[in-house]
This record gives sequence, C-alpha cells and structure tokens, in this order.
Amino acid sequence: MSSLFAVGLTLALVAVFSAIGQAFASGKALESMARQPEIAGDVRTTLILALAMMEALTLFTFVMAILMWTKI
Amino acid sequence: MYFLPATIVKAAEHATTLAAEAQSGETGLAAAMADKFEELNHVLAHLAPIDKFQIGPITITSTILNTWLLAVLLIGGCYLLTRNLDFVPKKAGQKVLEMAVEFIGSLAETVLGPKGRDYIPFVGTIFVFILVCNLAWFIPGMLPPTTDMNTTFGFAICAIIFVNYYGIKANGFRSYIKHFYNPLILMEQFTHAFSLGIRLFGNMFGEKMVATVLAILVPLIFPLPVQILGIIMGFIQAFVFTLLTITYIGDFVLGH
Repeated sequence: MSSLFAVGLTLALVAVFSAIGQAFASGKALESMARQPEIAGDVRTTLILALAMMEALTLFTFVMAILMWTKI
Repeated sequence: MYFLPATIVKAAEHATTLAAEAQSGETGLAAAMADKFEELNHVLAHLAPIDKFQIGPITITSTILNTWLLAVLLIGGCYLLTRNLDFVPKKAGQKVLEMAVEFIGSLAETVLGPKGRDYIPFVGTIFVFILVCNLAWFIPGMLPPTTDMNTTFGFAICAIIFVNYYGIKANGFRSYIKHFYNPLILMEQFTHAFSLGIRLFGNMFGEKMVATVLAILVPLIFPLPVQILGIIMGFIQAFVFTLLTITYIGDFVLGH
C-alpha cells in the first residue's frame, strides 16, 4: 500500500510544480503578446516549444510512476 | 523496448487481484467497485498490442498492422487527390493539401529562414503521419499506433537520423564533424531521440488511459471533455514533434 502512496505522491508533486512552471511561462507570453501583438506568432511558437520541454519532465515521471506501480 | 506490453499485462493482473480482494470483502463500496475493477481489467488487457501472426522470427502486432493501414490510406488518398493538379486550385482536395504544405512551409521558414522550404518533404511527412496516427483513436476498433512505445521511438530515431543526414548535406562532412568537437553534442543526439519518443508516447498513452478509465467509471457525458481535449492534444503533439525536429535541423544547418 505504501508503494501506491508513493506513486500518487510522485504524480501529484510533479503535476503541481510543472503547472507552476508552465503558468509562469504562459503568463509572461500573454503579457508580451498583449504589449506587442505584431510578434504574437513568434511568441506562440517559442511558447509551445518551451511548454513541450517542461511537459517532457512530467512525462518522464509519468512513465516512472507506471513502472513503480507495476513494480518492474 | 518491449517492456510496455509486459507492463500492461502486469497492470491487468493487478486489477484482477484488486477485484478479487474487493469481492471477498464486505458489502458497501468495495463490493460495488468489484465490477468496475473487472471491466478495468478487460480494458487494460485490450490496451496492449495483440500479436497477430508471425513471419519467421518477427512477430507482427496489431500496432504494425494499424500503422500499415494508415500509411496505405494516406498514400492512396494523396495519390488520388494529386492526380491532375491545376495551376490555380479548383478542387477542395488540392486546396486542403496546399494549405497543409503552406502551414509546414511557413513553420520551417520562421525557424530556418528562407532555406526552410527545402525541408518540407521530410518534416511535412512526419507531421501528417503523426497527426493521422494520433487521431486514429476515433476510428472504431483501432488502437492509435502512437500509444505503443515502439512506434514513437521509431519516429524519433528516424527523425534524428534525418537531422544528421541534413547536417552533412547542407554544410559538407568536414563542417558537420566539427560539431562533435564538443562531446556534449554527441550525447545530445541520444537524449533528443529519447525525449522525442517519450514525449509523444507519454502524452498519447496518458490521454488514452485517462479517457478509458473515466469512460468505465462514469460512462455518461463526463468522458466527452477529455475526448475533445484528445483531439486538440493529438494536433499539438504532432505540431511539437515537427517543431522540435525543425529546431534540431536548425542546430546543424544554421551553424554556430
């Protein structure tokens, strides 16, 4: 049962912190888009790239959580 | 690389034991959940690719069959749509295809500059194929090939090989090999391939897992938002894979 708790805690922690990181990035991007609408396209491309980088760490943890859950 | 089916089978066994425990317990929530666990077991067993048949030492799984089917559909559809092209597009099919090419071309141009249009054939193929693989979820009875780790790592390794090939082709072998004076660049090739594969697999598998479990527990209305998110997610993941591939090409082609 404690291993199940560890799996849940892993996913919860990584979700919280990656959400905070992505929120900072998206907020700043929105601010800059509102300030200079003519570069909105460039900002959006860079933002998606950055969000994908942050998302990757979450997903590594997700795969690790599956492995922990099935005890491989 | 074949550990994923084993993982899912283990998870299915886990669900079976949970169901047995819940059935042996007293009445109340545990007994009510027993049926749900049984269904979960059923679905988890079907999330794994099934072995269809065998050619020599190679096992052909359902993932490979689905990938071939989608590839044949794409090739046949594009062949039918581009048989007799007009200079000014009149037919709907040609308009849609030109929009797709233009989308990829403008994406490559923003990252690589005017040379970006040379890379449309490879990058566009990857985008369209991954998009179709992600959205194959909505064809009844078909498991999206991208929920299998073998497919996504196949895409990723293919992309990295082509990135290096384009690096040699654009600037010549001598200036290509100069990149590797920094040993971190060599290691980067492996981490790029790994992260591309894991990102696509994790997103698609997680999305599908969440939607499946939610559809078992609350079959009415609640899975709908998650499935709409699945459409958007399939598009975004294909876009991100393409964008990262273009960026990696840029690392070699544009120079430092």
